[in-house]
Amino acid sequence: MTQDNNDKTKGSRRNFLKGLSIAAAAGSASLVTGCLPDVSEASSETLKLKWQEFFKKNYRLMTAAEKEETVARLERLAKLQNDREVRIDTTPPREKVLFGYAFNVTRCEGFMECVTACIKENNLDRKANTQYIRVFEMEPGQLDPSTGDGKYYHEVPVENKFYMATQCFHCENAPCTKACPTKATWREPDGIVVVDYDWCIGCRYCQAACPYYGRRFNWGKPDIPEDEINPRQHYLGNRVRPKGKMEKCTFCIQRSREGRLPACVEACPTGARVFGNLLDPDSEIRFVLKNKKVFRMREELGTDPKFWYFID
Amino acid sequence: MKSDNFLHHFFFKVLLLFPALSVCTGIICEPRISLASSQNSVMRVIEQAQSPYKDSSVESAFPIFEETVLSRERYQGGTFRVLARKGKLDRSPCSACHTDTEVKAQDSARLTHGDIVLNHGQSGALSCLDCHSREQKNLLEDREGNAIDLDHSYQLCGQCHFRQKSDWLGGAHGKRVSNWNGERVIFNCTTCHDPHSPRFEKRFPATYSPSQP
Repeated sequence: MTQDNNDKTKGSRRNFLKGLSIAAAAGSASLVTGCLPDVSEASSETLKLKWQEFFKKNYRLMTAAEKEETVARLERLAKLQNDREVRIDTTPPREKVLFGYAFNVTRCEGFMECVTACIKENNLDRKANTQYIRVFEMEPGQLDPSTGDGKYYHEVPVENKFYMATQCFHCENAPCTKACPTKATWREPDGIVVVDYDWCIGCRYCQAACPYYGRRFNWGKPDIPEDEINPRQHYLGNRVRPKGKMEKCTFCIQRSREGRLPACVEACPTGARVFGNLLDPDSEIRFVLKNKKVFRMREELGTDPKFWYFID
Repeated sequence: MKSDNFLHHFFFKVLLLFPALSVCTGIICEPRISLASSQNSVMRVIEQAQSPYKDSSVESAFPIFEETVLSRERYQGGTFRVLARKGKLDRSPCSACHTDTEVKAQDSARLTHGDIVLNHGQSGALSCLDCHSREQKNLLEDREGNAIDLDHSYQLCGQCHFRQKSDWLGGAHGKRVSNWNGERVIFNCTTCHDPHSPRFEKRFPATYSPSQP
């Protein structure tokens, strides 16, 4: 056995680890089956898959084949562990697409339909009540959400108040990506700032670096009713996160990369949310930028967010 | 070897650069602001992108099953579609009841249309015939007497709400159906607004936020 492994280390460290992982998976599986007579074939497969998952690369370094392998493992694990049928995509960014978002502060009436749609679409933890979007009830004349009431629960809209929502702004010059010590978060070519949940170590430096409070931390194992799991998932998007990882809005990467609108845009009953391709001069988002009075939050920080607020 | 390199790096960065930087920022105080107008800012990227985006590969991914009609207006030089209205009406077509024969039943207007609450504009300012055609019951009619189809009510609404209409044509008012890409299909005025009572009703939010920063 040791002789075998010594031979492999001559190849590379990765070969050694691969050998070790397979040996260990086989070993632990036999150990488990030995100790517990009623353990099925499935649990040894689970252990093996978990081991292989442990030694995969950062998403950005994976080849197409490796992406397929990890996705197949994750889908199989979801089936084995939770009896869930899920489909995890690795849809790449499209050429000549840069996603942008605009939010109409005059139109928003604070119904928070966007928040509920987001929770369902992105498989957010119901127990901790994780929400990517925050809606603030604001006094007229104020523009900083920290002056608003983010915990309101009464009939809306209230006279002489306006509503302003925040989420991840997908900055071009994103401070969160620079703070990450493991390079587990980065800006994709279509402008979406994503997290590789399996490379995130949960240090929360990115949360501290974000000036917009755009990031959320998974304190516990996500608690989602089994019949409300969204089975259409993306590796960098709404797949069910492990405990202790950072997560945030991904412009619904699993939808937007397929040409659909993010769940919040589709759910908005007042049409306050505009989403589209910034590189397309005929898109709605470009119309807004060209014809409406727009501003970005804390633009002076130089973060260059791709999220604009506008008024009618 | 590696750790030597690291130590060297560490000393250089932390012990030399940090005080130097803090002195610099203390004196100049501007580097953060100059970043916003840098060469690579997203505004610059947008300005340079002037060719329309066409990718038919995503167009058919999520077909829209709702009934739509081709709009009679133009959008940035092109055509677009709007959600149809007529199929969603409870009592359509109007000519099913409104024939050439006069209706003489007692209290018939209240019995058939009593559910309609007219709460549009200042109270008492508008009546049925400001929008509905007296002669052609299946159609609407604008102030100049032009007959307008119910599926194209934006032509009627736009005569007063012209600012909303130009925003709607461009995409700053209203919304697209399902897709950001492909043929443009947008909500009609009457998809969101009840034409007889166009303001949204006050109601409780769909959820609440228990924790905030």
